[in-house]
Amino acid sequence: MRHAKAKITVAAVVLASALGLLAYAGVQRGWVYYMEVDGFLADASMHTQRIRLNGHVDDQDVVVESTDLKASFDLLGETGRVPVVYHGVIPAMFKPGCQVVVEGQLDEHGVFQADSLMTKCASKYQADEHDRMLKQLNQVEQESAS
Amino acid sequence: MNADMGTLALTVSMLIAGAAMVTAIASWRMNRPGLFTASRRLMYGFMVTVSLGVVALLMALMQNDFSVAYVASYSERALPTGFKFAALWAGQEGSLLLWAWLLAVIGMVVAIGQRKATGAEPAVMLSAVAGVCAFFAAMLVFAADPFKTLPTPAADGHGLNPLLQHPSMILHPPMLFIGYAGFTVPFAMLIGAMVTGRADDAWVGATRRWLLVSWLFLSIGILLGAQWAYEELGWGGYWAWDPVENASLLPWLTGTAVLHTIGMQRFAGVFKKTNALLLAGTFILCIFATYLTRSGVIQSVHAFGESLIGTFFLVFLLVTTLGSIAMMIWRWKLLKSASLEKLGVKGQAFAMAVALLVLMTIITAVGTIFPLISSVVTNPINVGPEFYNTVVGPIGMLLLAVMAAGPLLRTEADGGNRLRRSARIPGIAAAIVVVVCITLGITITWALAAAAITAFAVLAVLADLLGRYRIEAGRDRSVTMLSIIDKAHFRYGGQLVHLGMIMILVGVIGSSLFNHRDTFKLRAGQIGHIGRYTMKFNGLAEQREGNFTAVQAHVDVFDGGRSYTLHPQMRFYDKAQDSHSEVALHSTLGEDLYITIAGWDDGGKLVALQAIVNPLVGWIWIGGITLVAGGVLSLLPRLIRQRKSATESASSSGGATPAPAKLAEVSR
Repeated sequence: MRHAKAKITVAAVVLASALGLLAYAGVQRGWVYYMEVDGFLADASMHTQRIRLNGHVDDQDVVVESTDLKASFDLLGETGRVPVVYHGVIPAMFKPGCQVVVEGQLDEHGVFQADSLMTKCASKYQADEHDRMLKQLNQVEQESAS
Repeated sequence: MNADMGTLALTVSMLIAGAAMVTAIASWRMNRPGLFTASRRLMYGFMVTVSLGVVALLMALMQNDFSVAYVASYSERALPTGFKFAALWAGQEGSLLLWAWLLAVIGMVVAIGQRKATGAEPAVMLSAVAGVCAFFAAMLVFAADPFKTLPTPAADGHGLNPLLQHPSMILHPPMLFIGYAGFTVPFAMLIGAMVTGRADDAWVGATRRWLLVSWLFLSIGILLGAQWAYEELGWGGYWAWDPVENASLLPWLTGTAVLHTIGMQRFAGVFKKTNALLLAGTFILCIFATYLTRSGVIQSVHAFGESLIGTFFLVFLLVTTLGSIAMMIWRWKLLKSASLEKLGVKGQAFAMAVALLVLMTIITAVGTIFPLISSVVTNPINVGPEFYNTVVGPIGMLLLAVMAAGPLLRTEADGGNRLRRSARIPGIAAAIVVVVCITLGITITWALAAAAITAFAVLAVLADLLGRYRIEAGRDRSVTMLSIIDKAHFRYGGQLVHLGMIMILVGVIGSSLFNHRDTFKLRAGQIGHIGRYTMKFNGLAEQREGNFTAVQAHVDVFDGGRSYTLHPQMRFYDKAQDSHSEVALHSTLGEDLYITIAGWDDGGKLVALQAIVNPLVGWIWIGGITLVAGGVLSLLPRLIRQRKSATESASSSGGATPAPAKLAEVSR
């Protein structure tokens, strides 16, 4: 019986340490901070690591070279802006003014080099439209009530 | 008109479900069977009224009634009829209405099933089901009204999101919701047994069937979602560890676990606490999943907007979680299990499988809500696919290795020795396959592990079936392979499900480790090479279809001796502001060629094509079909009429160890 218990303890320790190792490796590779443009600009410690950055695409100076799989634009926060160069397939929903999340790292010239670009407006535009419609509806109801 | 009818129907349905919940409980506390009958009939009434609500919304959609805000948001005049039907669950409110309706169907099935039932347990069980129904109806009335009307009807609707205009997407949400709604019943059965203090384990027999059906639909839903992502999103993958995907995976993992242990409880009185926790956990995870994706707390590519619905789900989540915990503490003594030791090596393997599944659930859940957890102390931290692939992947692989040995596991005391003996041939086969892979130049550890598991699993199933055939045929010459399978549907159905999982493993490993992709800038007449394929671009053409205009590339593909034409498209839907890329796919058992238009220049004379070669990906879908076939086989009654049934039953009841024999047959 004591033998069995020792066996179980050893197995548990091995399993737990294996899991700890896995989790550590996973966190090393998969761990990415998610930030808004303004917070990113204010925090220099974030400038040397991989970041997921949320903001709006500036209407000005958007250069899309879709056959070269490259887009450069400024990502806008409330006050600040970050120049971004993205390499990869340009999502069909990408366009000036659109909300996007880019993932990558700031290079030595202060340009954010992104290898992933997700558009936020596409999948939500209908839900947003629906919300806007319902909000208007509430306003109309309130006005007619008063 | 439609809106008024719908609102009225839903309001009445909410009252009916509330009444059903109260009368069922009252029939138990006041010991009046008449009230139980009334409660059952109220469940029929709930079914009728919610159906009226669904019909009202469907009519509004079909008649292009754009005075209803939901119809104006998710449909349009030019939308093909099939998609108008699907628009019923394209939006937040509609999908919750669908869920409520599925619950109503399930509630009715439960009520019909309890026709002759009496006593406390069915009453509590029915009351719990009615309570969940009442919650959904209340949410539809107060937070997610699908029948809000516009002051001035819109001239035309905004149309259905182009991404959702795909056959898999029509079926994906209903399948998931049948799964989610179905898990209500096992949870309600648990509540019934616990609240009334039932000590025996007979109730879990019916629970297992409900679990299996719900689990099957959830599996189909997840697979259809993966297939939709693969064919529609254009990045060449099918699973991105997105919060919405994870949300559906969580109850699937716990559901898988409890599906295995619940049979053990019935036949050996073990795993009682585990089952209680997993049954409640699976239901709670369905609600949790929906809360995550509907409340806007987690950033996701396809999350819905923030709304009051989130609050509803959060409150419901808290009530069910705290209620379940309280219930289990109250009845902890009832959950005292028999010793797992008497199930030998099979019991150990099941315990290990459950531990691994629960571990995967916890890690996936923590990863999914990690942005929330981390935002308390620092900037929100996202954990990407790499995290899950490195942590959940190996655990999953270990789980599949345990699964591969499944057919060889026995409950007898010498099960360990038997396992060692019977594992010899599959083990040798696995080693041979690994050596062959290495000589073929495959050195990635994961691929080799998957190859070994695959060889072992297939041989283990075959060895087990042949071994059984030899034994049985020695006793009775009329025995055939089919009659052996027919005698133990649950066992062989389960093994078929496992083979399906192995095929999915093969597809996932092949496509994720060995895919290659390239982009080509081509002018008309120019050629690009990828893998064994030669692609010749023959120009772009514009084409008008139903509710969109497509710019279509004409790509001739030469593939060894064969040639065919692929047409990747960029679609411009009338009602969407954006274009949308449509994948062209050539699929074979060996690999898929997957081409999308990445963009064009120079007035369409220069085009960028992205091509991906995805090895073995088709096996994921074949594995999915196999898995469903296995699930259906498990549910079927015996098909071949028994001969000599009298002598057989006499000999089996006279056997020395009837319980383990039965266990070996049924608890797979």
